[in-house]
Amino acid sequence: MRRAAAFLGGLVLAFGMLQPLAGQEEGITPGTPAPAVVVKDLDGRSVDLGAVIGSRPVLIEFWATWCTSCQAMMPALTRMQEKFGDAVEFYGVNITISETREGVREYVAEHQPPFLTLYDEEGVAARAYEPPATSFIVIADSGGTVVYTGSGGQQDLEPVLRKVTGRQAPAE
Amino acid sequence: MLKESLVAAALAAVMVAPGTAAAQQEKSPPRAVVLSGPEAGQRAPDFRLPWASGDSIGSVEDDFVLRDLRGRTVVLAFYPADFTSGCTAEMKAFTDRYAELFGEGEDVVVVGISADSLETHQRFAQSLGLPFRLLSDPDQRVARLYGSKGDPRPRRTVYVIAPDGQVAYRDMRFGALDPRSYESLKSAVRSARAG
Repeated sequence: MRRAAAFLGGLVLAFGMLQPLAGQEEGITPGTPAPAVVVKDLDGRSVDLGAVIGSRPVLIEFWATWCTSCQAMMPALTRMQEKFGDAVEFYGVNITISETREGVREYVAEHQPPFLTLYDEEGVAARAYEPPATSFIVIADSGGTVVYTGSGGQQDLEPVLRKVTGRQAPAE
Repeated sequence: MLKESLVAAALAAVMVAPGTAAAQQEKSPPRAVVLSGPEAGQRAPDFRLPWASGDSIGSVEDDFVLRDLRGRTVVLAFYPADFTSGCTAEMKAFTDRYAELFGEGEDVVVVGISADSLETHQRFAQSLGLPFRLLSDPDQRVARLYGSKGDPRPRRTVYVIAPDGQVAYRDMRFGALDPRSYESLKSAVRSARAG
């Protein structure tokens, strides 16, 4: 009986990929100020997000080298950086809990993610933004207000980035 | 019997709270009464749950029984759900850093607890190569005992139970992606093992 019930529960997995969890763990709330934290980069240098938050739009992804959703988002993020990188600051905060600095450095060298990589060894950004999952993306407008949060490998960021940059979609 | 009595007393406290709060409203703001689970220094409520690991599902006769582990340090990691990204990050970190966080001896027993089925647990454990068991608590009966019941899924909390059966440490807001949560847990396990 136990095994039969367990099997039925297991069928849920037929839907495959990791899912971000709705409900209790949702991360920082849209409409609130984006925390102006200071996080280290891969070389241990301090990067003060407060220097840009509140003056320019900011996109922050919480990511890991092993995160399949992060990998799935990489091409879209690259396109977004190419389109909006002149107006929006892109940061990638590495979740260091299962990483080594050297491993992240090698991954970055090989894959060239379209953001400035931060290595949040002290969890400063993790505590401030409370990402519920890797691939968690936060976008703040030029006033420093969080206008978007989301997770997963299929996030549509262009409408949000158009809005925070004031750029219109091209006429069809 | 004692366990049921404690739960009943706690529930009674919740049920009478509105009335007493109303009576006290003129003197002080009303306070919510929350079932919060045992605190450090209190006895860890005993429980029995079925389990799965990456290569097997425990038989009914072989359920996980907390009191059977007296004399060893036990880590109870309540988490929302298998195959969600935050929980995957947490369980992957526990796996990748097992020796660092929990030591290499058999005096520490780590278990994850969620409402998922045993079959789902087994697949999740297989996918990550978990070196510890996952307990199935489908109605969140045990999660409730430990103040970790959530709606619809358990909250993410961690308890360290000392060899004498007392709660040595708890983190009622364990940050799956926060390195400091893991450092605190590591220290707590080390302290509990040292007695």
